[in-house]
Amino acid sequence: MPAAPHPEGTDPCSDHGGEGPTVLDLPNVPMALKREWLEAETRRHFLARGSKALAWAGLATLLGRSAPHLLADTSALPDRRPHFAPKAKRAIYLFMAGAPSQFETWDYKPKLSGMFAQNLPESVRGGQVLTGMTASQAGLPIAPSLFKFSQQGRSGQWVSELFPHTGKVVDELCVIKSLYTEAINHEPAILTMTTGNMFPGRPSLGSWLAYGLGAINEELPTFVVMTSKMPVKQNVQALSNRLWSSGFLSPEYAAVALRSGSEPVLYLKDPRGLSRDMRQAMISGVSELNRQLFERVGDPEINTRISQYEMAFRMQASVPDLSDFSDEPASTWDLYGPKAREPGTFAYNCLMARRLAERGVRFTQIFLRTWDNHTNLPAGIRAMCEDSDRPTYGLITDLKRRGMLDDTLVVWGGEFGRTVYSQGTLTADNYGRDHHPRCFSMWMCGAGTKPGMTYGETDDFSYNIVKDPVHVRDLHATILHQFGFDHNKLTFKSQGLDQKLTGVLPARVIPEVLA
Amino acid sequence: MRSPGLLLLAALACSAEPATFDGRVAQVLRDNCSQCHGERKQKAGLRLDSHAAVLLGSKDGPVVEPGNVGASELARRISLSPLDDDFMPSGEHPPLSPSEISLLKAWIAAGAPATTPFDSPAMEPAAAPPPAAPDYGPRLALARALAGELGVTLVPRSRIQTDGLILRTAGAPSRCDDQALARLAPVSDLIVEAELARTRVTDKGMEAVGAWKNLRRLDVTRTAVTSDGLAFLAPLQLLESLNLTQTRVDGRGLALARKFPALRRIWAFEGP
Ligand code: HEC
Repeated sequence: MPAAPHPEGTDPCSDHGGEGPTVLDLPNVPMALKREWLEAETRRHFLARGSKALAWAGLATLLGRSAPHLLADTSALPDRRPHFAPKAKRAIYLFMAGAPSQFETWDYKPKLSGMFAQNLPESVRGGQVLTGMTASQAGLPIAPSLFKFSQQGRSGQWVSELFPHTGKVVDELCVIKSLYTEAINHEPAILTMTTGNMFPGRPSLGSWLAYGLGAINEELPTFVVMTSKMPVKQNVQALSNRLWSSGFLSPEYAAVALRSGSEPVLYLKDPRGLSRDMRQAMISGVSELNRQLFERVGDPEINTRISQYEMAFRMQASVPDLSDFSDEPASTWDLYGPKAREPGTFAYNCLMARRLAERGVRFTQIFLRTWDNHTNLPAGIRAMCEDSDRPTYGLITDLKRRGMLDDTLVVWGGEFGRTVYSQGTLTADNYGRDHHPRCFSMWMCGAGTKPGMTYGETDDFSYNIVKDPVHVRDLHATILHQFGFDHNKLTFKSQGLDQKLTGVLPARVIPEVLA
Repeated sequence: MRSPGLLLLAALACSAEPATFDGRVAQVLRDNCSQCHGERKQKAGLRLDSHAAVLLGSKDGPVVEPGNVGASELARRISLSPLDDDFMPSGEHPPLSPSEISLLKAWIAAGAPATTPFDSPAMEPAAAPPPAAPDYGPRLALARALAGELGVTLVPRSRIQTDGLILRTAGAPSRCDDQALARLAPVSDLIVEAELARTRVTDKGMEAVGAWKNLRRLDVTRTAVTSDGLAFLAPLQLLESLNLTQTRVDGRGLALARKFPALRRIWAFEGP
């Protein structure tokens, strides 16, 4: 704990003619920074604080402590204990942004092969409204998957030829074919998947977990996001930090986004000539000033700022080790493939996710974009799978052989499904698919999910769900359950409501997918 | 106005397979209402034992307005004070629980579909797990103080105070050594999981761990532990999982470990 500031007038070290030291007296802090602070002083703060610019207690901290520390207002901290003993300690969420087609990936529809180019029967669609993208088409011609499926593993699940590697671990996967959502466009749908709500401003799943569980390792962020290099340059959807924001939770629960490239965190390296000690003194000083500011104005954002400075400082030490892959055994590259050496690729990010998990990061979300195959789907999805199949397999296998799959949940999936009918011209070897929120496929693996099973069923056209529907809320409830939380009880009061990830409509844990 | 989302949901329900009405909503109605609104009696001409009948309503008209809770007589009846004359279920029947009431309302709000996720039985609250360790309550402060001193953390596995503690070292693995493990003795019976990967512990430390009688899971990935150290773990009657990844434990050690009475999972990736 920081030393308690001395009440006005009782400062035992108050000399300087009663004036006390000023910011300018801080040792080892560049002059420019001191000036910036002084200029940032507002009149109100100045008046509120009186003439004593910096309590001696602060200086003592600066001079005497060896490490920066958190201002731990423990009374404001949530109870970090899960409601019951968790199965999952961490999760790696492979977010396939843009919405991979279920037809070519996990929802095998053999009957379609005899229906090439036939119009989708009215009875299947049931009058459901079409999107603007396909409403003006002359017809809704059925496009069977161009890719073959075969039964693999002891579980005999149907695997697409696009997943030659993932097929080898299909006995680890719990495939859910009956996800559905209300959102039909990317941004709201991705927001629904990441935050449980299509409107921006809610905390992300990872933020809820960070809030509920706290960190395993204080040297690293609890929630990390990585976006991957795009395998193709078409159908690019923007990804914004709304997707990993902490919403109304304290900003400290937002994800730290690791960049691709040689510097995963920008500005983390000290500029030349600034020693680590100097940096430490500076951050301690800034934290102390912020702490005093907090004492006066009580804005919780200030604590967040303090913890971010201090986190950044700790990451300066922990991140270089994290991104130095030279300690990886040769078998790693055999698993993830050669692309894993190239920063920013999906393969690299998968390996990085394992390294983060080893070091205690709770939730790592890897985004892989450009699954949005409105046109030229066969070529597009082939490129996507070529890029991601082997690393996905690599990650699962790697976690498993290291004994980490036991308590690491891996989730794979996009934000909605795609249509059985072709968007645009259908030919023997080319077609596209439009957005389809009424059913889509995902899989989970590890951390007490049931391995080698398929849950839920869609009709022969993968248009409607016919068995065991799973709303995004149910998925969220199930994930929280694996982390030891009753989704109805992991709440945070905001705007007069006990907010929760799963919102107000009923959500249920899916016991059938749990081992 | 119904939101497009709700319409979609309703549409989903209508276009799904023939309406089965056998989920939780149906069950709540069956358990609480069908004795007066079912096969034998139809008070007010109302039956609540099939989806069609619920939507059909009573002799006075519909009792459910899909998508509009406020206009639904059924929702109003179940939400009244139990002392109100109109309150349902009437008679001696106990009132619905708050969660049953909110389920029915949410179902109406979602368009009163026949098949929806509401149709799946809710996860029953798990029965209290058997105690994994003595109640940590009385010694939590002690455990935390000790951990703080040693540079490790001891965290409750859950709010259930007999679920035990997890020993964590990931924040500063280099601070955890054999001595630290020995010093945890006063709280060692509370430790159910020990995460010692990348720490400086050696075989000597395993001697201390061998006395942690409630330990279920032990991870010594990338430590100096060898087969000699494993011999110390033999007394652990509850040890279920043992992670020896990147250690020098060899065939001899693995053979030893396989004899541990409760051991179910063992990993030795990248051993010697
Ligand atoms: C013990 C018998 C009994 C039970 C149990 C019972 N009801 Fe009724 N209910 C009646 C009677 C009698 C009436 C007609 C008198 C009235 O309108 O209050 C009625 C009327 C109603 C009406 C009004 C119909 C209309 O439009 O006039 C609704 C709605 C209703 N019940 C719903 C329910 C629901 C929902 C349940 C279960 C939660 C339930 N009832 C359980 C006896 C019962």
